[in-house]
Amino acid sequence: MTAMDPTEVFRQEASELFEVLEGALLDLGQCPDDRELVDSAFRALHTIKGSGAMFGFDKVASFTHEFETAFDRVRRGEIKPTQELISVALAAKDYIRALIEDPQSTDDIIGEAILDDLKRFVSSDQPSAPVAEIAEARPLAPGESRQAGWHLYLDFESHILRNGSNPLDLLEDLCKLGPCFVVPVTDGVPFLDEMDPEDCYLKWDVKLHATCDKDAIDDVFMFVQDEMKLTLSPLEQVEARAPAPLFQLLDEEPAPPVETVAQMMAPAAAVAPPLAAKPERKAEVASEPKSDIKSETAPARREEAKQERGIATVRVQAERLDELMARVGELVIAQARLTQLASAGSDLSIKMIAEEIERLASSLRDTTMGARMVPIGSLFGRFRRLVHDLSRDLSKPVEFVTSGEDTELDKTMIECLADPLVHLIRNAIDHGIEDTATRAAHGKTEQGRIELAAVHSGAQVLVTVKDNGGGLNTARIRAKAEEQGLIATGAALSDHEVHQFLFHPGFSTAQTISALSGRGVGMDVVKRTIENMRGSIDLSTKPTQGTTVTLRLPLTLAIIEGLLIRVGEGRYIIPLSAVEECIELTAEDERSCGRNFLNVRGNLVPFLRLREIMSASGTPDRHQKTIIISTGETHVGLVADQIIGSHQTVIKSLSKLHSDVTMFSGATILGDGTAALILDVAQLVALAQAQTEKQISEAA
Amino acid sequence: MPPEATESKWSVRLPADCSIAAIRGVYDLIRDAFGRQHRLEIDCSIVDKADVTSIQLLLSTAKTGEAQGRPVVLTYFSQSLRNTLRRAGFTTDAMVEQHFRQEKDGV
Repeated sequence: MTAMDPTEVFRQEASELFEVLEGALLDLGQCPDDRELVDSAFRALHTIKGSGAMFGFDKVASFTHEFETAFDRVRRGEIKPTQELISVALAAKDYIRALIEDPQSTDDIIGEAILDDLKRFVSSDQPSAPVAEIAEARPLAPGESRQAGWHLYLDFESHILRNGSNPLDLLEDLCKLGPCFVVPVTDGVPFLDEMDPEDCYLKWDVKLHATCDKDAIDDVFMFVQDEMKLTLSPLEQVEARAPAPLFQLLDEEPAPPVETVAQMMAPAAAVAPPLAAKPERKAEVASEPKSDIKSETAPARREEAKQERGIATVRVQAERLDELMARVGELVIAQARLTQLASAGSDLSIKMIAEEIERLASSLRDTTMGARMVPIGSLFGRFRRLVHDLSRDLSKPVEFVTSGEDTELDKTMIECLADPLVHLIRNAIDHGIEDTATRAAHGKTEQGRIELAAVHSGAQVLVTVKDNGGGLNTARIRAKAEEQGLIATGAALSDHEVHQFLFHPGFSTAQTISALSGRGVGMDVVKRTIENMRGSIDLSTKPTQGTTVTLRLPLTLAIIEGLLIRVGEGRYIIPLSAVEECIELTAEDERSCGRNFLNVRGNLVPFLRLREIMSASGTPDRHQKTIIISTGETHVGLVADQIIGSHQTVIKSLSKLHSDVTMFSGATILGDGTAALILDVAQLVALAQAQTEKQISEAA
Repeated sequence: MPPEATESKWSVRLPADCSIAAIRGVYDLIRDAFGRQHRLEIDCSIVDKADVTSIQLLLSTAKTGEAQGRPVVLTYFSQSLRNTLRRAGFTTDAMVEQHFRQEKDGV
């Protein structure tokens, strides 16, 4: 075991903090009044700065400090985070990331330019938000009153400090609810000889000027409610006004202006926004289109995240997880051999041990695979920035909505999925979403919408990229396919079949992009990548309503449930996730030799005889079996001699010598030590489709 | 520069860590100094970590000094200590002065 390089630990932590920072900045663009987001961004910045200095990243610490200082006016509520400001802040974040990950690539001049931009935006003469709100607040009519808030008295038990609770943090949280005036009650502090320095003697009298409900206050003290007395009563209704006079009462000094108070208290808990009701935010005139980025589960997740902070986690290097998975794979293979040997013998005790080891190996496999699963939300987060930047660069306002971030997928799958999704989202914005004029002409909202969703479906995960753009131009795709000789002119094909040409290698060209509302660029690469992950890609579209691309992915790439079959003397594995059903090949089907279609409950399904494909020798079994497999909506039958049963398949890659063999996606080792090849479902389906097309054209 | 300890007045400099993790040591330090000198001057210039316990200890020292008629003066509040005081609700200099007698201009 080798200790991890501390700077590497910092890089990893910083990487996570950058995600938090980026997410908070992007959310701020949509919710400029959300204090939690501002605080979240600052916490991330502050930790990056502190840790950077600790690990010797002085440039990082220095730049981040400047960033913090410039952004401080946002934190103090003096200026609103506009889209322009968010863009510069994102650029600053990118620069800090570069300083950490690849310092050689950075240039001080760029850093200074970013900081200058940042300072320029924050020092521009934007009206101070709180002051503006006070000015715009509706004055109260004579005799009219508003609820003034809550009066709290906080009396903590004496031992509360010993268990790590910090009343000052709680006061800070309380003040996030609204303007808060905290008066420490010092009467309980004893003389020196009588005191235990670790006991809590201070109490606090707090006036919270916010219209929040009692539950919000209870939430603040949720974790210490058994260790304190919280006296809570509504403040008497008073005329709404800025809270300055409270300071006069306390200090007998003139009340400082709001801004001064805010400065004085920062970062203290004691002052927050003014009492006046917030006026509705006026529409901003932004120089760039507004990309509206939201997660349908974001608020709930933030709450959950808060609650889950206490859950212990251990950081483990990804390579170690890979190594562990490889060892588990070996164990599963060895266990299969043991089971086979035990079943061949007659020793009952050996059989019992074999069963016990099989159970343990199965449990260990599931646990290890679980440890490799990560929420797909970690991947989705990256695309928010992509959408933000593309929306700005292409002058297309886009709303980006994500859902199913909690859906878990093997970490290797997550890594492989990034590039295809970038491509699909870029295509959707660049070519799917129409410009504002076209959208207006179709009676659509100015802002386009991209939805990225993930959901579990059996042993698979479905990831969809959906846009509400113009949809595919089927006629143009068909014309292009005919032009390229991919289909005969006038051939009878469904729209779905026509759309599949988008995945044809070389179908997309620059000329095609402009002619075909852009679909198809590199879609063959996307399809190949997804199929390499033992997944499939499907596409549906409606003219003027948009396009949905659905990716079906297995949960993991390491060990899969497979169906072991025999063809001649050879044994093969079919991924169980692709198997729809198994049926016997009837005499009628046998007689259909030459046509190769099965009648499955009234539907014609093409089938492939694996004996022919594998060039198997010997006589076929009398009762041949057909395994119906599917990729998306396409079904194909595979005719085998025997179905042996399900098999835990530890996937081994084929050697480079076999890299051009497309019919197999890998191999596995069976219990008797022999190898079995894993059939590439997507390739077999493609082969069946090609065969069908050939038969149709011959018949024509 | 913080003043040096002289014969006429005993100055005790608080350590950087005055949080609950180290407060018992700070308590012993102050009590020891308090027992030996009539006038106590507490130098807070290098306090880097402070929390509720540090504030309470300073309050108790001031209260004890006042009750016994022995001057206790706090000097050179570090920024960290000031921040902690503000977080606890001692938000203005006047409030701080009300609870903790501070020495100004080196007096």
